[in-house]
Amino acid sequence: MTKVSKNIILKLDNLNKYFGGVPAVKDISFSINQRELVGLIGPNGAGKTTIFNLITGVYFPDSGHINFQGEDITSLKTYEVIRKNIARTFQNIRLFPRSTALENVMVAMQQHHACSFGEAITHFGRWGKKEREIKLKSMDILDKMGLAKRADQPARTLPYGIQRRLEIARALALDPEFLLLDEPAAGMNPEEVNELNHLIVDIHKELKITILVIEHHMDLVMEICPHIICMNFGTKIAEGNPDEIQRHPEVLKAYLGVEVDE
Amino acid sequence: MDILLQQIINGLSLGSVYALIAVGYSLVYSILMFSNFAHGGFLVIGGYICYFALKSMGTGIWIAGFLSLLGAGISAVLTEKLAYKPIRENTNNTLYLLIASVGMSIVIENIFVVTVGGRFRALPPIIPTQPVNLFGLATTSAFDLLSLVAAVFFLGVLQILLIKTKWGLAIRAAAYDLKTAAFMGVNVNLLISIVFFIAGTLAAVGGIFLSVRYTLYPQLGAITIKAFVAAVIGGLGSLPGAVIGSVLLGLAEMLTAGFISSQLRDLVVFSLLIITLLFRPQGLFGKNISEKV
Amino acid sequence: MSGYTDGIIILLCINSIAAMGVSLLTGFTGIFSLGHAGYMAVGAYTAAILTFQYEVNFILAILLGGAMAAILGYVIGVPTLKLVGDYYAIVSIGLGEAIRLLLENGGTITRGARGYPGIPPYTTLTIALCFFVIMAFLMFNLINSRFGRAFKACRDDYIAASLLGYNTSKYRILSLVLSAFYCGISGALLGGFLSFIQPIMFDMIKSTELTAVVVFGGLGSMTGTLIGALIITLITELFRPISQYRMLIYGAILVIIMIIRPEGVMGQHEFGPKLLKVLKRKFLRGNFSKEGGES
Repeated sequence: MTKVSKNIILKLDNLNKYFGGVPAVKDISFSINQRELVGLIGPNGAGKTTIFNLITGVYFPDSGHINFQGEDITSLKTYEVIRKNIARTFQNIRLFPRSTALENVMVAMQQHHACSFGEAITHFGRWGKKEREIKLKSMDILDKMGLAKRADQPARTLPYGIQRRLEIARALALDPEFLLLDEPAAGMNPEEVNELNHLIVDIHKELKITILVIEHHMDLVMEICPHIICMNFGTKIAEGNPDEIQRHPEVLKAYLGVEVDE
Repeated sequence: MDILLQQIINGLSLGSVYALIAVGYSLVYSILMFSNFAHGGFLVIGGYICYFALKSMGTGIWIAGFLSLLGAGISAVLTEKLAYKPIRENTNNTLYLLIASVGMSIVIENIFVVTVGGRFRALPPIIPTQPVNLFGLATTSAFDLLSLVAAVFFLGVLQILLIKTKWGLAIRAAAYDLKTAAFMGVNVNLLISIVFFIAGTLAAVGGIFLSVRYTLYPQLGAITIKAFVAAVIGGLGSLPGAVIGSVLLGLAEMLTAGFISSQLRDLVVFSLLIITLLFRPQGLFGKNISEKV
Repeated sequence: MSGYTDGIIILLCINSIAAMGVSLLTGFTGIFSLGHAGYMAVGAYTAAILTFQYEVNFILAILLGGAMAAILGYVIGVPTLKLVGDYYAIVSIGLGEAIRLLLENGGTITRGARGYPGIPPYTTLTIALCFFVIMAFLMFNLINSRFGRAFKACRDDYIAASLLGYNTSKYRILSLVLSAFYCGISGALLGGFLSFIQPIMFDMIKSTELTAVVVFGGLGSMTGTLIGALIITLITELFRPISQYRMLIYGAILVIIMIIRPEGVMGQHEFGPKLLKVLKRKFLRGNFSKEGGES
């Protein structure tokens, strides 16, 4: 197991978010260290995706702070947050449906390979070189994710599991330091979840990035996340390693009635 | 003071006509979530049916009016069935409906240009327009009062329909969430037809009054852009909003025309639109729909 | 080459330039506008006044016409582009009309509703073709670059785009400014071709014409836009005798295309090797069940 650095990469401080009087997130505080692989679990409606939306600037919190790598990013706009090297995937896949798999990745990849407007409209100067770089590196990522064969297929024609992978590939093309995965295993059968497990662990090991995973599937989270945070009704009800979480009375209470994949 | 009161009444009268149009437009928007740019076409159809009924068939105003409303309502339903239904069954993208509605508005307008010609026609003077003295405070025309009364009447009927009838309930449910209403057993296609019929009839009433006010010509439907603006100011999808927005707009227009300049009327209308969209884009009563991420 | 043919080609160039501008905004960035004739008007009047009153060199005048339109696009765009879909469409109608009204009431500067005659006829066949070729070159390059991909991302899913680090507002404004520039140039060339311009030439009918061209050719295909401009300009000329039916035909085209083939003639494809690949795949895959069922 790689030694986790003691530096805190993300710190949530007493975050509150209300939607018309209903608290979606209430007094949430937790911190994540560099290069950790953390799981965020909880029943439907617990506020997990809201946390992602707060971190990435889709919503602004009603109170509280979000600190990323020592910087307060609470009031940053979405694209500003992403430019701090944070990337995310979505609960409902948000690929560009009519663009090909390759194009989807290129849209992300080109963020780090800019050329000027003048070069873009004339195709002079660095344009050619940059385009080749973008294309090559995008194919590279697709290849690593086993999607190279699908490069020219429109995203909306791809099988569901492949689409999920593509979304992760696209997020990785941003070369993030912090990756947020929102229910990456949704709708997958146990075999696919297993594959996904390996994928996430591989990404974590090879790219040495911090990953925060929202998941419903217990078998994914318990197996690969040494650090788990559990939420319910907008608040944090437990935090610890898989053993502690599995035995925690609040967690069991929250999940009673929900089938447990064993 | 005299002029002020005069223009206020003018504004209310104009606003009431806008309200008839804006409410129908907003009703369609609340169900289908798209702006039916062809709405003005229903107005024109109503106007022409009334004109020809009065002129060529020689009927009285009541029958002409009835035919006009019926005709416009049916045209609206036909438009929906022929042009919009195939598109909305194919795709969720309302942009296509929007573009089709722009096309339909052009088609309807130009059918009239091509068949009956684009010249201005004055409606036979069936609707009284003589001056009426209001409690000694101001003089207004009977026409203004009548259009106000007609608007209140028809909107009142609509309100009763929405609140007291089964279909009214279905419409309100569908306005809230069309898909769920369908799950609850509402015949969505029939509901949409009913909504379009209502929108068409309301537009026809407005069309008749506008024809008297401005004379009848194929491009009269273009005036609905102001009703659209009113609906947006009041909040797209909100019926009370459409009414209030219309009244505000009518007043603003008339007060500008009366006290500043008639040329600037339209500019004032669009300025109000811009201001609303900049500072309160959902309008006065509109629902704030944010996308779920 | 007779003068008549020359005229048609010039008109084609003029319409194509404006159409490319609208295509960038509507087809590629997903912003539906019904007021773009207003930008043509700004370009036309700017160039007309500069060449007629101040005897400015016509090429400079044309470019300044485009620039004025672009600046106006920026000024209008910044506050209004955050509006979504239908709202922006209504605003765009209003803006187009407002520009026309201002021109009609512009007193001695714009000569009002009667029109502005006596514009030096600077739009020759050569000039029109040169402008067309250069502007088409730049546009095709643009959409085939990172900017093109960025515009399309903003169009297809602006939330996803912003979550990939794109400042979607900036791209929307850029798209509007460029499209306004193109329409401005087109308008300026039109003035130099007809030697006469009138505010009514740039009304909602003209705006709808531009939109019809883009929709017909295919939202998201620049090649389609040019094909659309070609076909519609030719139809307009051929059917000049029955021009009263012209608008009826435009309207019908819009409706029919939305029903039968909303993606237009070219869909989202451009003409080129990729298109052949796609056609081949479609043809071959025709016998097999649609992919997406396999796991």
